[in-house]
Amino acid sequence: MKKYSLITPILAIFLAIQCSSEMEEDIQQVDNTTPATSTDSDTDNSSSDNSQTDDTVSYNHKNMLINWVDNIILPSLDNFNSSLTVLKESTETFVNAPTSETFSKVKEDWLASFLKWQYVEMFDIGLAEEIYYKNRVNLYPANVNKIESNISDQNYDLDESVNFSSQGFNSIDYLLFGIGENEEEIILKYSNENLNYGKYLTDVVEKMISLTSDVRSSWNTEFRESFINSTDNTATSSINKLVNDFIFYFEKGYRANKIGIPAGVFSDNPLPDRVEAYYGKNYSKILALEATEAIDNFFNGRSINNLENTDLSIRDYLDYMEAEKEEKLSEKINNQLIKIKDKLSELNTNFSQQITDENLQMLITYDVIQANVVFLKVDMLQSLNISVDYADADGD
Amino acid sequence: MGKRISNYLNRKKSHAATLAFFRIAFGSLMFFSVIRFWSKGWIESLYIKPNFHFKYFGFEWVEDFGSYTYILFILCLISSLFVTIGFKYRISIISFFILFTYVELIDKTTYLNHYYLTSCISFIMCFLPAGGFFSVDNLIRGSKIEEVPSWAVDSLKFFICIVYFYAGIAKINSDWLLDAQPLSIWLKSKYDLPIIGQTLLQQKSIHYLASWFGMIYDVCIPFLLLYSRTKYIAFFFVIIFHVLTKVFFPAIGMFPYIMIFGTVIFFDSKIHIIILNRIERIVKKLSVLLNIKSIELVKKNYLNSIHYPRFAPLFLSIFLLIQVIIPFRYALYPGELFWNEQGYRFSWRVMLIEKRGDTRFKVKDSISGKFFYVRNENFLTPFQIKQMSFQPDFILEYAHYLGEHFEEKGLKNIQVFTDSFVALNGRSSQRFINPNVDLLTKKESFLNKDWILPLNDEINGL
Repeated sequence: MKKYSLITPILAIFLAIQCSSEMEEDIQQVDNTTPATSTDSDTDNSSSDNSQTDDTVSYNHKNMLINWVDNIILPSLDNFNSSLTVLKESTETFVNAPTSETFSKVKEDWLASFLKWQYVEMFDIGLAEEIYYKNRVNLYPANVNKIESNISDQNYDLDESVNFSSQGFNSIDYLLFGIGENEEEIILKYSNENLNYGKYLTDVVEKMISLTSDVRSSWNTEFRESFINSTDNTATSSINKLVNDFIFYFEKGYRANKIGIPAGVFSDNPLPDRVEAYYGKNYSKILALEATEAIDNFFNGRSINNLENTDLSIRDYLDYMEAEKEEKLSEKINNQLIKIKDKLSELNTNFSQQITDENLQMLITYDVIQANVVFLKVDMLQSLNISVDYADADGD
Repeated sequence: MGKRISNYLNRKKSHAATLAFFRIAFGSLMFFSVIRFWSKGWIESLYIKPNFHFKYFGFEWVEDFGSYTYILFILCLISSLFVTIGFKYRISIISFFILFTYVELIDKTTYLNHYYLTSCISFIMCFLPAGGFFSVDNLIRGSKIEEVPSWAVDSLKFFICIVYFYAGIAKINSDWLLDAQPLSIWLKSKYDLPIIGQTLLQQKSIHYLASWFGMIYDVCIPFLLLYSRTKYIAFFFVIIFHVLTKVFFPAIGMFPYIMIFGTVIFFDSKIHIIILNRIERIVKKLSVLLNIKSIELVKKNYLNSIHYPRFAPLFLSIFLLIQVIIPFRYALYPGELFWNEQGYRFSWRVMLIEKRGDTRFKVKDSISGKFFYVRNENFLTPFQIKQMSFQPDFILEYAHYLGEHFEEKGLKNIQVFTDSFVALNGRSSQRFINPNVDLLTKKESFLNKDWILPLNDEINGL
């Protein structure tokens, strides 16, 4: 008798819940199909309110994931991959015939590819995370001694973690701008095949291509399916992980690496040699601005190849969760992004120079970015009720 | 009056099966809790991995044992097993209380109301004659206690009533009842629950319903459980309520189970006897299966003298009185309780606030004016960073730790400032700690922390 008295109430609850929501379930199923087809048709559904006007319908999390993958992540990877292929070609041409002309083409393609990378770095998920993709493509400062010893010893394995800081864009930055006093001297080093600079440059570019192709193919084979179907709100679900990745990128890859660390926010003195693309001198600002665009696009759900085309993303999700709030957090975040862009635009094209000349401007920029860290990490995570990565314990 | 009390203390008896049942339920739940805690890897991540532990005020002397912390847990596990089977009951429950509480004192980052509940219950049980019936001790002594004084059972009942009632009145505040916060945030994000997730849980009206139901439940359930005609319907609600909380908030851990089993103590002792008989039958079957000589659990010898410390009733009365008073200590502090959390803990304020923070520390040389920001992840685990970021006493303790750390590293004229933002119950974030205060000049105490900036809002309520 005791046993039944324990089980019956539990059964009763679930029965009651089941009955009361059967009707809603029907409504929900009907509504689920409409937004799904609209993204499939891939036309200009420029408005973002396709699934949230109706009160009875919840936010369509799966469509958000689909938008992220199909309109943002995969196209960004494709664009990046294409730019790398171009870089590879010009590298080969240059290495075979090092002239001032072929050299400037390599530099141009390196920058073009580096800019495309800014759209990829934040998606540190799946295979990308497993193989330390972002560390191998954009770790800085480059380990110059290691690069030089790799080249002179001709005995290196770029897959070893000791070589993470001697490959990727910043190593190429050193190879293109740092191995000689001036362009002539650098070209001369490449002209001497025995010095092996050309071989190393080619290896580094090829490694980026093979890593990128691994990441792309993992997305295209199984990862896309499992990603878009993991719609739950748990520590390991896609939304939680990608939102966490996004914030982590904003805080570390963007705020700290590009601005904070070189400006000396975390050290006794400024470290002007810690900027991104240090040897190229004039690229740190343009890279930071491009990264800001990438952040802006992802937050607002813009298709990477057609910025007019927006679909569900964090902004919409926030607006849905905060429907009753007057002060829209999404607006605050977007306004802060505008302020960040303004502030960045005022800086010297070479952050390293800016730090030496007037570091205060860098510190101010850092504070403007930090204000958005608070919005993202505190307000946004609270509204979306997403837990911070890997802080696992009971709560009450 | 005095006579009545002495009559109650000395004459009024309850059947010993009630306490025995509670002992078995509590002991076995604790046994599984410890195993669960271990299997989740939390001993490692919460007690061994951190380089630094946040201490309760007054308990700074509590040391962690590094990787030997596992020994504490093994002993805790053995104690809980012995409590369950009633082997050397008194020693077992005292050692369980001490070990469990000690582990909790190692790091306040892990503070949970139900850990505190566990400490309190095991503390009360140290004074109760719960090992005299249906226990291994019976077999050894060849005797049993059939009756226990009623105050023994009543003190547990009263304590459970305190827990519920205070949890209930804590919900009588404007955030909970008028804004349905934080339930609104929490339920809305449970969109992944089957059927109700995308529908009911998205409705504000449901959030209000849940808030009000939760408050009324907590306030009323003690009375319904005490009153004999309503106690069974009350138990029905206990199960509904706690199962729902477990479904909505899986991270709540063992709390629902502790409360569900705990409230069975309110039942008539006949039911406890039935349950114990069932257990006995299972044990007998098992012993037959395992080829062990049939165990006679219930001996026929009765023991008249009941062993419990003479001072127990007085001691427990004082303890329970303190329990009644402590939750109101917040009234001694100015400002919003949910914001500054002065007097928040140890008061059965369960699942009342959704709070997030981002707190960074600026280490400054007061003479040269040079400063840098600390990377919290170099010193704290992600879980500690999360908890530290919105709790003032954590922020202060950590600031002092940083001060000492950098002094050891050779820095001079150190000042530690914060850049701290916190959001509470769906409000926009605002600055939390006065950024101009050098926290090294502040000491932890029971006095008001005037360096916490006030909340730009008002929360009305108890």
